[in-house]
This record gives sequence, C-alpha cells and structure tokens, in this order.
Amino acid sequence: MAEPGVVATGVRRSFGPVQAVRGIDLTARPGEVTALVGPNGAGKTTLLLVLATLLVPDAGAVTVAGFDPVTQPDEVRARMGWSPDVFGLYDNLTCREYLEFVAAAMRLPRPTGEARARELLALARLEDQSDQPVHTLSRGQKQRLGLMRALVHDPAVLLLDEPASGLDPRSRVELRALLRDLAGQGKAVLVSSHLLADLEELSDRVVFVDRGLTVGEHAIDALPANTAAHPWRLRALDADGLVAALDRLAVPHGDPTPAGVDVELAGDEAAADLLARLVRAKVPLVSCQPVGGHLEAAYLELTR
Amino acid sequence: MRVDGVVTVARQEFTLRIRAGRWRWLLGTWFVLVSAFTVLVHLSVRASFHDATNKGVVVYGALVLFVLALALLVVPSLTGQSVNGDRERGTLATLQVTRLTALEIAVGKLVAAWGTALAFLALALPAVLYSVALGGIPVSRLVVVTVVVALLLGVVAALALCLSSLLARSTTSGVLSYLTVFAMTVGTLVVFGIGAAMSTEHYTEQTSCPTRQDLVDQGFPPEVLDRALADCRSTTYDGTRARTDHVWWLLAPNPFVIVADAAPQLPKETAAERRSRLSDERAGRYHEDLRHSDPLGAIGRGVRDLRKAPGSDTGRKPVWPFGLAFDLLLGAGALWLTARRLHAPSRTLPRGQRVA
Repeated sequence: MAEPGVVATGVRRSFGPVQAVRGIDLTARPGEVTALVGPNGAGKTTLLLVLATLLVPDAGAVTVAGFDPVTQPDEVRARMGWSPDVFGLYDNLTCREYLEFVAAAMRLPRPTGEARARELLALARLEDQSDQPVHTLSRGQKQRLGLMRALVHDPAVLLLDEPASGLDPRSRVELRALLRDLAGQGKAVLVSSHLLADLEELSDRVVFVDRGLTVGEHAIDALPANTAAHPWRLRALDADGLVAALDRLAVPHGDPTPAGVDVELAGDEAAADLLARLVRAKVPLVSCQPVGGHLEAAYLELTR
Repeated sequence: MRVDGVVTVARQEFTLRIRAGRWRWLLGTWFVLVSAFTVLVHLSVRASFHDATNKGVVVYGALVLFVLALALLVVPSLTGQSVNGDRERGTLATLQVTRLTALEIAVGKLVAAWGTALAFLALALPAVLYSVALGGIPVSRLVVVTVVVALLLGVVAALALCLSSLLARSTTSGVLSYLTVFAMTVGTLVVFGIGAAMSTEHYTEQTSCPTRQDLVDQGFPPEVLDRALADCRSTTYDGTRARTDHVWWLLAPNPFVIVADAAPQLPKETAAERRSRLSDERAGRYHEDLRHSDPLGAIGRGVRDLRKAPGSDTGRKPVWPFGLAFDLLLGAGALWLTARRLHAPSRTLPRGQRVA
C-alpha cells in the first residue's frame, strides 16, 4: 500500500484536442491542508475529478488514501470526500433527509447515518433548517450543506473544489477553522481556491499549477523568494511622516490612501532593508506586507 | 449489486417524484380518462347489442388497448430525464462518488420509473374490474394481460432510461423516447407493410385432369365421362401473393400485437350454455354472443394467420413469445448500457458534457 493521503505523479488528461492536465505532480499529506492554486483553466478541477474517481487519467500514477481511483474506486470512495465547485442538491428533500440519503448511499447503517446527519447539521449551523427543504436555503447554507455531504462517511481524504465560494465572511472564518480542525484529526485536506488570503492562513503547503502543469510545490512558510518588483503596502501611525521619509530616502511611492502607502519592492530582502531604514528614520510603522499577501505575490510570480 | 443499494436509489427517486408535485393531477386525470372511456364503451355496446351476452369481452378488449396506448404515452416521460436531468442539475457526480455501484443506480432508477408506471396501471384496475364484471372474461386472461402489459411498460421505461443516460440533453432524450415508442408501435406496422410488399412472389398452380376412375368415384354418369375427359385441359393459374410467413416477425415486437396475442383464448361455449341458448332460441329469444366479437382475439388470430405459409394447414402458431422475448432482451440490453454509461471513473464523456 502506498502512503495514505493523495499522491499524484505525472497526471495527464485531455478532452479531445484540449489538454486539460499535462503533467501535474501533487502530494497531500495526512494531517495537513494542501492548497491547490492556479488560474482558471489550469486543470485544478480536472485533477480533482481524477482524484475523486470520476475520470480516468490518460497517464500518470495516482493513489488516494492508498488506493488507485481507477482500479479500486470503491475503496477510494469509502475513504474520500469530494465537494465539487458547482453541484446540485435535491431541492425537494430536507437537509436531514439529504444527509441521511448520502449516508445510506455510503452504506452506513441507518442509525449511524441518522446520528451523523445530526452531528453535521450542528457543525454547519443548519440545525434550525434540518427539516426545511433544501431549496429554501441561502447560497452559503447550500455550500455548507454540500461540504457536510462530503464529510458524511468521515473520510480520511478530503477534496474540496472552491469550498468558500458564496460564503459570507463569518462562514469563511468557520470554514477555515473546520478545515484546520479536520487536518488536526489527521485527515489529508486538499483545497482548491482563488481566495489566496484565506488559503495563506489555512494551508500548510501549496501546489501551484498553471496550464496543466505543476509549477511549484512549497511549504506555506517557505514560499519562493520573489525577486521581481511587486507592490508592498506600508502603514504608519503618521502617514504624512511616512511619505516624507520615503521622499527623503528617494523611494518611489504611490499616493497615501486610508489603507496605507504602496511601494514597489523586489522581494523580502528589499522589504527588510527598507523597513530598517524607515525605523532608523523614526517612522512609527504599523505594518508592511505584500499587497494581497505573500501567497498572492508568489502566485503572480509563478503563474506569470 | 446489492439490494439495499437499489432500494436506497429507488426510494430517493420516489420521494423526489412525489415531492415534485403534479402527480396528483396527472394520476387523477389518468383515472378519470380511463374510467370515462370504459363507461362510454359500455354504453355504446349496450346501445348496439342490447340483448347480447358477454359484453365484457368487447369492453375489456377496448379498454386494454386504450390503457396500453395511453401508458405508452405516459411512461417515456417518467424516465425521460432520469440520468441527464441529474447531470444538468449537478446531482449525478455526487451520486457516482458514493459507494453505490453504477448498476445499483441504474436499477434503482428503473425500479422507481417502472413502479410509477405500475401505479398508473393500478389506477386503471377499477375500470378493468368493471369491464370484467360485464361477463365473458376468464381470470386467466385478466392475469396474463396485466402481467404482459406491466412487463412491456418496464421495457419502455428501460429504453427511456437508457436514452437519458446516452444523451446530454433531457429534451433530446425525451423526444427520442417518444420516437422509440413510435417505432415499436407504428414503425413495426410500417416495416411489416413494406416487408410484406417485398415478400410478394409470383406463383403458378397447375390443375391436372382427373382420371376416369376419379370421375366414376365422384358419381358422374358414364355417358358424359368420355366427353368430360376429352374436354379437360390441364390449366395453370398464376398470380401474386405476399409471403407474410417470411416477414410476420417484423410485427412481433409491437406491444399491441404481443398483448392481444398473449391474451388466452376465450373458453368455448359450454354444454350448459348451449342448452340454455337453444331453449331461449326455441322460445324466440335470440342473444348475440359477443365472444364472437373479441377485439384481442381478432388481432391475435390475424397475426397468427400472417405466420402461416400458404397452403399449410398446421394450425395457427403464436407470435407473442417472439415479440415479448425480443422486447425483454431489448429492455435488458438498455439497462446494461445505462449501467455502463453510469460507470465511473469514465474514459469518455458524451459530447458537450461536464462530469460535474
């Protein structure tokens, strides 16, 4: 048996003339949240469909929870939860009936399924909607219910395609906490998303894909130092003093806004250097970070 | 395939169907339509054959053909979008990644559709029993016809299900389901007609002259014998005839043919019935026996006659076993194909279709 979690090497898949995935390598370890990041059309959804036992790859080796999704789909399905980016729910079922149906389809005994549905409805803050038809739910509530569907059989591997789309800020914070919690329980969590700020706080590792290829695989605290000039945002207690100091140091900068002052910096070392000089100039600095976060900076660099 | 998996899918489909509404109206309309038809046919039979016996034979026969026609219209819509509708709504992929097998999903969906069709059939039962109560229909015919109609509706449901799994759009598969029913009913008639026309052959038959002894045996007077033998010329007739015994099987898959031909024959007049009829007739009371106007029997005899070779007198052989076997195989093949299409992970996708 291969190591659990998700291991994919050299995955290829084309649809007719379109090569959706041309060579993706990816590892998602148990106990970690792995972010799958890349532009639209980079092949993220196709890769997740391969991992979710729905598509046969043209080439490459894949194991999910230690099993091959092509030859052992049932073993994989028993251990894997998948939530697609776009999905439908059975509008005329209640939330409880829906989760109980999924539990039955996962071959859980009836009492287990009922108990599991109760637990998950509580987890998704949908207890009050338990017996309401699904079509009365808001978009965010449906999204949460869809995520709970993937958790019904307590899978060891979780594959989530854009799980935060349509969620309000509070639900996103809760989703982050939930996914951290699931990883803490030893599950391998693979999340694809465009919400880089969320991913940065949530993930242990990040896999960058672009045009069907893996272009980088990094621990989130060891993102590649980017050397290209990139906007950083400085904030100080005294914005005018900051601008004056930058002018004295001859650093080109943007106009001050309530969010701060943007400067172009080529990587972390340049940032550290500027900060040291500003501190020496007695500017009361509050924060200095790449606009959009480190992950966004790395993303823009890698998927140029 | 596990039974509980099939039950899970079928129960889910039933729940969704019932909740989707409209069913009360649809079932109600069906019930009213079938019942009204039965009463009207009964009234018209009573008006035309006031004193006739066994009126049930005509009313039941007409009702069976009517219910079959109506059910063939309803059933395709029950499964017409079972699979591609789920795909369009985005609920199929999440079902495929459960531990349910493709066959369990396919069979579960078929069970739900077939079950719904049988619910329609059950609602026709009061009308059927009403017609049976009018007399002349043996229980065996009631049972056999009901079972055969139920099987055929299952076949149509399986075909519609298969089309919905093959085609990406539910509107396309819906139209094609109706075309399939059309092919089974009208199409078989058309193809048979063409086949019969093409089977037409030229034939000649020669008459031979009798021998003297033949004529003596037939009691001809001796004085005309010589004359008759001298005048006799051996003649040949020629003409054309359709060899329907070569093409009868083209009609066999037709549901109406199968049901009518499978219907057991009506029992012959019993000795007691004959005595009572004769005594009535002596007293000047004539009752027409509508067993001689059996619509199902007429269709059955008709197709069996088509199966007979010209000049053969081996009796009529049944057509329905071939048709029913063919249709059941068709339905089983359709179910198998549906399961194959539902299998994941898949290598190919229908054109223009997303997995999820």
